[in-house]
Amino acid sequence: MIKFAYIAFFLCCFNVSGQIDTVQNISEVYVSTLELILIEKTHNLILERDDIIELQPTDIGDLLRKVPGANLRSYGGLGGLKTVSMRSLGANHSSIVVDGVPLNNSQTGQVNLGQLMVDNVEKLTSSVGLNSNMLLPVSAQISGSNFVIQTMENSFARDTLTIRANLGGGSFGQMRGYAGVKYNPNKYFVSVFGSAQKAQGNYKYSVANGLEQINGTRRNNKYQDYNFGISTGVKFKKGQWRFGYRHKTIEQELPGSVIFYNETADELLETSSDRLFTDFKFRIKKLYTHSFLNAAIDHQRYFDPTYLNAAGEIDNQFNNRNVNGGISFIYYRDKWNLFGGIEETVSNLEVNDLSFAEPTRFHSFGMIGGRLNHDLVTISAQLSGQYLFEENNNGNVPRTISRLNPFLSIKSREWGQRSQLELWYRNSFRVPTFNELYYNNIGNINLLPEDAHQLNAGFLWTPSFRKFKLDWKSNIFFNQVKNKIVAVPTKNLFIWSMQNIGKTNTFGAEIQFEAKFEVNEIWKFVLNTNYTYQKTIDITDPDSPTYLHQVAYIPEHTANADITFQYHQTGIRISNYFVSHRYVLNENIESNEIAGFFLTDLSVFHTFNLGTNQNLKLIGNIKNIFNSSYAYIRSYVMPGVNYSISLSYAFN
Amino acid sequence: MRLISVAFLLLFVSCKKDVPEEVLVSEVLSNGTVVLCEGLFQQNNSTLSWINKEDASVSNTLFETKVGRQLGDTGNDIKRYGNKVYVVVNISSTIEVLDASSFQSIKQISMQSGGVAKQPRNIEFYNGNAYVTCYDGYVDVIDTASLTITARIPVGLNPEDLTVSLNKLYVSNSGGLNTPSMDSTVSVIDLTTNTEIERITVGLNPGRCITDSEGDVYVVTRGDYGAIPSRMVRINTITDVVVDHFGFDVTGITKMNNKFLISYYDFSTTQSSIGLFDPVSDVLENSSYLDVTGYTTLYGVAFNPHTNTIFVSDAMAFTNSGYVYEYTTSGAQIANYHVGLNPSKFLFYE
Repeated sequence: MIKFAYIAFFLCCFNVSGQIDTVQNISEVYVSTLELILIEKTHNLILERDDIIELQPTDIGDLLRKVPGANLRSYGGLGGLKTVSMRSLGANHSSIVVDGVPLNNSQTGQVNLGQLMVDNVEKLTSSVGLNSNMLLPVSAQISGSNFVIQTMENSFARDTLTIRANLGGGSFGQMRGYAGVKYNPNKYFVSVFGSAQKAQGNYKYSVANGLEQINGTRRNNKYQDYNFGISTGVKFKKGQWRFGYRHKTIEQELPGSVIFYNETADELLETSSDRLFTDFKFRIKKLYTHSFLNAAIDHQRYFDPTYLNAAGEIDNQFNNRNVNGGISFIYYRDKWNLFGGIEETVSNLEVNDLSFAEPTRFHSFGMIGGRLNHDLVTISAQLSGQYLFEENNNGNVPRTISRLNPFLSIKSREWGQRSQLELWYRNSFRVPTFNELYYNNIGNINLLPEDAHQLNAGFLWTPSFRKFKLDWKSNIFFNQVKNKIVAVPTKNLFIWSMQNIGKTNTFGAEIQFEAKFEVNEIWKFVLNTNYTYQKTIDITDPDSPTYLHQVAYIPEHTANADITFQYHQTGIRISNYFVSHRYVLNENIESNEIAGFFLTDLSVFHTFNLGTNQNLKLIGNIKNIFNSSYAYIRSYVMPGVNYSISLSYAFN
Repeated sequence: MRLISVAFLLLFVSCKKDVPEEVLVSEVLSNGTVVLCEGLFQQNNSTLSWINKEDASVSNTLFETKVGRQLGDTGNDIKRYGNKVYVVVNISSTIEVLDASSFQSIKQISMQSGGVAKQPRNIEFYNGNAYVTCYDGYVDVIDTASLTITARIPVGLNPEDLTVSLNKLYVSNSGGLNTPSMDSTVSVIDLTTNTEIERITVGLNPGRCITDSEGDVYVVTRGDYGAIPSRMVRINTITDVVVDHFGFDVTGITKMNNKFLISYYDFSTTQSSIGLFDPVSDVLENSSYLDVTGYTTLYGVAFNPHTNTIFVSDAMAFTNSGYVYEYTTSGAQIANYHVGLNPSKFLFYE
């Protein structure tokens, strides 16, 4: 009960201030010839290019920790595995959409956010509950939450020429560069970009070992990658068409966990990905449609040159192919609208290890929904259906899945100084991944999908004053996850397997607060804060020692507080991040505890105007300025204080 | 700003946990039991618990308290030889050598070879030498006086357990890291020359090895955790031939005076049993000698000759802190102790 008092404290102290949001001034519906976006302010977080430049995140994962309700799990290092779970649902309940196309990986579930580049991101939107954009792919609209990314290279612009370039370097031998050019005369665009980065990754760390403090340097942690892509698009009277290709190659060493007294590590991971995609927007009177087609091949090679098996090594190579396509529509009337769509994904996995399965998955999605705008409330409802079956050229297959899932939202009209209430319920599930079903001893083809129920009540308040904008968003939520897919040791300590064993309840609250204060033309002040409380408890078995205990790796408290001061062209951004203590296993005992941490990053930036529509931004960044020793995952230590400097050029 | 700082501060304060009171362990260990708790892979959380017989108190930080640092990752074996205690730590790839009475560290032997962790598993002693199975395919010989490695004897794939009989060392080659094509052999090493003289095929995935009062060696062949069940064989150490295959379920063997305790944990049904076996007549005298039906995960079994009692551990599905139960030889449970994660081996003090 004491914890709830703190939430109350937050609510009180922030109510006295006032505030506003980035999308604040846009009306309820944003309509252009082709785009129709129903602005849902209640639970979206939007980060734009300026935020990204100022924050200097290494990748998308680094950026998503800013999102309220997000729980980042990072295994450290550049390119290291990073996943984000929203509101304790688990990472695989979130979908990621880049330029209108969902990114899938049927082998691992959520794509590794540590390997998604941020340099070309113009805008990132995170949402749970009702989507703003009913033309998003169906799979993203019906998942537990989604992250929508828009890049510079794949969007139409007002200007004929757009150029972006970044160049930077920093501690542990980090170097990165990116350049993107888009030529966009009246009706079409073509763009091209390339990026590369590398790092030695040999950061120093310090971990407590009993009464001693171990100081070490991370070994076997080199990283390098490159990305490139081309895009083109054509606009015509009632529609637009885009087409693009993306390539990514990553070579990285895997440092593994810090094992006391044993610093040996020599594993390698090579990743490459090629993706062709196209999408098409078309409007017939009040009917807006968006269709897409995407074909991707992800190749991964895991190499352990000193594994103690008969061969003396492990050399596993995986090819995961995904082809997906779909169409979404919305029929828009002022008083009501109808929306829906279909999507199909076909994916397979090939492994050089012949004992591994060779599965092919067919996953179909369908959704229909409607919305009624009444004077007092807006009611939205959605029903989705999914059908999934699998073939396996090399063994048994899991059972076929067919499900129907509802979503319902009731939202009040705005009143007073733009206050609004919303109540929503979503039922969704995520399917087991190929790794969870088939991976050697670990996989279990009897796995059921993991079910999630989310109930949310939100209140927002977005008043606007002359020099002062405020944005207050608060939600309380209750989630239940059933048939949680978890890896547990089964046969003995070393032989783990995937099981549907968990059932968890989450009682949570989120508060997001943003204030913008423009004193005059010269002085600006922006405050972005959010706080999330999550009590996620194990309710699987009343006889278990972990019954009602906080689930492993879910912090009760997470908070972000970013403060930006800007004077003329110079600014400073202080970014604070707090995660409370967690448990490495479900049993909430002291020996399972991993300490909470508080991180402060500092950015100083100056913009040089190089003439009309052209500027150069110089950013100096210090991460973890208090040099705190911390870890998201036990034994995966993170770097102490580190520095970077970068230049960011923009033309239009 | 101030409000935010205060809020953050409050969060910090609210997250502090009360530290439980630590049970004091006397300067010189006596009249109690050391329990090796393996912990879990990659968590650096292997611990030693101390059960004080006098007041039944338990300290779960024995190693850390006495040595000042942690044991490391996945302790796998603990044995005493002379005045020294040896703890074999598998993933940290070390052998911690401690003074048997004060429990102060004498030496930490790093078990690495050419930058690769040898992953030591189990230890046995003979004529002033310690023999350690290493997952990289060797048995290391350590001189217990100088505490240095004097030889590496190549054996089969991923050697697991070892036992001495008739001046020979029997080593079970599990091949556990080569799943599904595991090993099925026992290496026989002549302890005069420290070389392998024979490799006996015993059955898939050999594990626990033990020598009876007549010098016969019994080996558990753990099978493939599927169609091939976990069984026990007997090797005649004069002829080095497998002379008996026993048909009962078994995953562990523990010596109790001249008898064996036969433990079995069935991971698919989570049922456990402990039977009594006579290695002289080679008969399973009682298939449910101790009542362990309520166990979640039967793990370690040991007989305490000083108190004539049996210690059995429950690993609680491998992810929760474990329990140790103490029984009389007539099967009555007389005590239980809450210990660390995955308690597996015991070391008894008078």
